[in-house]
Amino acid sequence: MSKGVQIAIGAAFVALLLGWYATTNLERLGSFTYFQTLEEFRAEGRPGERVRVHGYVADGSIQRDLVGRQVRFAVQNDPPHAGQGAEPVLPVVYSSLETPDLFQDGAEVVVEGRLESAGASALFRADNVLAKCPSKFEAKRMEAASF
Amino acid sequence: MSDLGHYALRLALLVAVIGIAAGVAGGWRQRIEWSAVARRAVVLVFVLVTLATVALWVALASNDFQLRYVAQHSARGMELPYRLAALWGGQAGSLLLWLWISCLFAVAAAAFHRRSPLRSLPWVWALLLANAGFFLVLLNFVTSPFEKLPPAEVLSDGSGLNPLLQHPLMTIHPVLLYAGFTGFSVPFAFAFGALLSGDHGTAWLRATRRWTLIPWFFLSVGILLGGRWAYEVLGWGGYWAWDPVENASFMPWLPATAYLHSVMIQEKRDMMKLWNLVLIGLTYSLCLFGTFLTRSGVISSVHSFTAAGWFGFIFLGWVVAAAGAYFAVLWMRRDSLRSPNRLESVLSREASFVLNNWAFMGILVVVFWGTLFPVVSEAVRGVKISVGPRFFNAMTGPLAVLLLFLTGVGPLIAWRRASPASLRRQFRLPLAAGAGTAAGLLLAFGSGIKLYPLVFFSLGAFVVGTISQEYGRAVRARMRGSGESALRALATLLRKNQRRYGGYVVHLGVVFILIGIAGAAFNEERLENLKPGERLAMNGYTLEYLTARPLPQQHYGGAVARLALFEGNRPLGVLTPEKRMYWLEQQPASIPAIRSTLREDLYVILTALESDGSATLKIHRNPLVNWIWIGGYTFVLGALLVLWPHPQRRPGRDAR
Repeated sequence: MSKGVQIAIGAAFVALLLGWYATTNLERLGSFTYFQTLEEFRAEGRPGERVRVHGYVADGSIQRDLVGRQVRFAVQNDPPHAGQGAEPVLPVVYSSLETPDLFQDGAEVVVEGRLESAGASALFRADNVLAKCPSKFEAKRMEAASF
Repeated sequence: MSDLGHYALRLALLVAVIGIAAGVAGGWRQRIEWSAVARRAVVLVFVLVTLATVALWVALASNDFQLRYVAQHSARGMELPYRLAALWGGQAGSLLLWLWISCLFAVAAAAFHRRSPLRSLPWVWALLLANAGFFLVLLNFVTSPFEKLPPAEVLSDGSGLNPLLQHPLMTIHPVLLYAGFTGFSVPFAFAFGALLSGDHGTAWLRATRRWTLIPWFFLSVGILLGGRWAYEVLGWGGYWAWDPVENASFMPWLPATAYLHSVMIQEKRDMMKLWNLVLIGLTYSLCLFGTFLTRSGVISSVHSFTAAGWFGFIFLGWVVAAAGAYFAVLWMRRDSLRSPNRLESVLSREASFVLNNWAFMGILVVVFWGTLFPVVSEAVRGVKISVGPRFFNAMTGPLAVLLLFLTGVGPLIAWRRASPASLRRQFRLPLAAGAGTAAGLLLAFGSGIKLYPLVFFSLGAFVVGTISQEYGRAVRARMRGSGESALRALATLLRKNQRRYGGYVVHLGVVFILIGIAGAAFNEERLENLKPGERLAMNGYTLEYLTARPLPQQHYGGAVARLALFEGNRPLGVLTPEKRMYWLEQQPASIPAIRSTLREDLYVILTALESDGSATLKIHRNPLVNWIWIGGYTFVLGALLVLWPHPQRRPGRDAR
């Protein structure tokens, strides 16, 4: 057997090991998360499942609870100023005071966490909140920032 | 002036097309005079593109808001350096910069190989011109930086550059990255030209190796500066987030680094020719692919890609065409690239380099897959899935350990076949250094130390041991042999074998960087809400929130918090994290305050000023993070030692 083949076998072994490690551990590490819009989440989301939900912060819904060290707000599927009128919102409890810079009324957000209860008393418990530029501003400029 | 730029780009495209035709004709018919025409076309295209770049710079400097590009990416209020940096603040301008730097590399190659007898040169010029030609088509017909706004839309001021980009590091980071990306077009063209012309001698190899080293250096420094910028400006406490944009710059670096190692096997043992050509092809294909990823919007969503229209499709088409053509020709030539030599032993330097290549390729597969998985999953299953940094860390960590280990093994192990006696002689001291460090760490921290830092620090000591041993032996040998002083012997060493001894310094830099990264295992973070006068204690430090003041600046407002920092009872100074709002761009930003020492950084972010007058602060303690930047400087020093031109060595006489 040539030495090249020996090394290839060794490499294949390492690759298998890594592959096995990936498939057995990554679910647990929570590296892969479904990404849904609020509408999709309403249709398919189940309590307890870890998801990322995309939406917009409802106007005037942000309450910072300094004592309880959490932020309560509500997300809706479409931007608040898009003119659809009032739409149903999903109340969110974010268990930290650490909100991103761009987090404000109308901001485009992705909340990461779990639905605590469904139905009329629906509540989403988020452990991570990402925010994008509010859509009224040109989104192009943010893309330019990326390179 | 902007008309001048517009027509310069048109003319450049014409010249490029003529040059491509001349190069192909020269390559096909082996006509030296056609090759000269193609080479002059390379020079002329460079002159014309320079003219266009200067024209856009003049437009930016003189606030010519008739141009859509200037109106969208610059503003009167911006200082001149940032107005000039707006050249790479948006799509059309950054493509022009890309083109200009790639022409700069092409013209450097044309000047350097003016009298070279390489048979592949006409092909090389044609390929370099084809590369420029593609970007010229984009800039002329798809996204022109000289596009004028309709008169009704012209305003007296522009909307400004993203304020996060208005930072000194951002004026050089993109330029360095582009210098890396575009520079790889030269080795790609040389390799491709050699394949097309059938001239598989050793001359093209020397040319490619040298032309790979330079862009590789720029890309490495560019990546590091990007991390530094993220750390200082983005205010999330870290420097690398496995963001698709970061990954796009990291991916070509992996095969390029693998190539710089395995090319040594080709030089010494005439092996792995085919594989090295694969690596060169991969490197430039990934440069183009990375530009496509970051410029087409495909990463944010497959749908935004299709909405973006022509640009993405043309670009992807070009990436596929360039890579496809290269690998097709490589496949056709595979038989003439077979090596007469075989690997003789697993315990040899060749084998350690082969493993090193596998590790780099493994990291590439992980990063590529993790970056593209969300896109593939959305396209195939319609579900968007995000891949977090944990995936990348978990998968690349073991491979980084392997690479660090090989960094120590590679330089010491013998070519062909290492004897047990030589292994003992070479590895006794470095292994003792590694084992001693591991034992010391276990004694000091007990079982509390995590696996990764333990492994990284011990292997780091092992590698530093090998490097010092190599330097020590060589310096002593010179001192004995020629009676030189230690310093003089060191200087001769670096001059006579700059690749080897400069390379060791590069390795030392990499060890420092990895130690800095491993320090992240000890990171701590706290989120606190403090009223004025309240204190918090963290790991020997005490922070007292004094006051917050408004920030009355011209372009932005917001607040700056003043925090007194103590270590024990000793005052260390005042930290002033800021929360800014840029008026024109309506963009908020958090500027962290960083107290940096060799041991650790204290990184304070003003998360929010609350309505009751308190401040919410995020405090990170980042141990050893400074070693990443120290490693960066060491890396630069080492790379310069490798690249430094020595007048007494002519290109024809490459060092052993």
